[in-house]
Amino acid sequence: MIDPLQASVQIASSGLEAQSTRLRVVSENLANANSTGRTPGAEPYRRKTTTFTAEMDRASGVPVVKIKDIGVDRAPFRVDYEPTHPAADQDGYVKLPNVNSLIEMADMRETNRSYEANLQVIKQARSMVTMTIDLLRGA
Amino acid sequence: MMLEAVSSILKGVGDIARSSDVAKSSSAVAQTGQPTLGFGGVLEQVASDAIGTLKAGEAASISYIQGKVSAQSVVEAMMSAEQTLQMAVAVRDKVVQAYQEVSRMAI
Amino acid sequence: MGPVYLFDVASSHARWLSLRQATIASNVANANTPGYRAQDIEPFDKLLDTKVVALAVTSPKHLTTETSLRPQGTRKEDSWEVVHSGNSVNLEQEMLKAGDINRDYSLNTAIIKSFHRMFMSSVKS
Repeated sequence: MIDPLQASVQIASSGLEAQSTRLRVVSENLANANSTGRTPGAEPYRRKTTTFTAEMDRASGVPVVKIKDIGVDRAPFRVDYEPTHPAADQDGYVKLPNVNSLIEMADMRETNRSYEANLQVIKQARSMVTMTIDLLRGA
Repeated sequence: MMLEAVSSILKGVGDIARSSDVAKSSSAVAQTGQPTLGFGGVLEQVASDAIGTLKAGEAASISYIQGKVSAQSVVEAMMSAEQTLQMAVAVRDKVVQAYQEVSRMAI
Repeated sequence: MGPVYLFDVASSHARWLSLRQATIASNVANANTPGYRAQDIEPFDKLLDTKVVALAVTSPKHLTTETSLRPQGTRKEDSWEVVHSGNSVNLEQEMLKAGDINRDYSLNTAIIKSFHRMFMSSVKS
């Protein structure tokens, strides 16, 4: 790579962006943890997932990371017996979102950790460039 | 630009080296022994080194602005230029000092 | 050889440290990429040995300021743990390595600055 320190900033920036997207998806899952359908037998909110992928940035030739796509979790819905619910089917069962709030919270904490680690990489790369430039300063 | 002014000072050093009698006689003396550089030769070498590193420093700075090289390369080129220029100036000062002493002796 | 050789080695070391920083950046960014294995580069002293031999062979009058020393490739490292997704990046380990790099780079630039100053003041008349 031409300038490894500049590449570090670019790579870590792509990491920041990817983790941001992941956080958005996790927040959406958490917000919709109890979003059922409105009509009888209707499907509730389906949990969303993010897939990371390593890519080569064409302009600079630097290997960055991106969110390949935002998919859905094919795990089965939870089912609850609640005959008075508007989304209850003929047997009185309501389908609930396949979102586990505890898992989403843990995911959120991990996303935070990764975000901070990427940020730390950027700070350090910048600091190293500053140290180099400071060689020319002073008497 | 400042670099051109410095380059012309260094070329002046080279000219002193070539034209001065002290330099000529010292190279003549040196040539009887091993094939080492005379006083004038050292001046020329040091002056051309300095001009070379100055140009390299300039080129590196421009490359950096164009985004082609790293900050490390630029800093290294600039430090190298600083060192060779300092050396050239010190040698020039010594030459001038020596010339003045010799010209005082003649009288 | 003295300080001239030192500038050469310090320059290579700085370059190596920068490359390692980029490797860590890649590891940290790909901490959640499935199938990604943590990477690291060859230790600097291995490269230093070959470089010393090369310098002894060429003429000592040939002073180069640019470094021809490039770490010759990356190797997959043994991580402390493997996560179930097949991804082996450990953030703590990467942050520790980053700390090492920061300290080494700091020392490297301090040494270069010091030797540069010494050279300049020794050449002044």
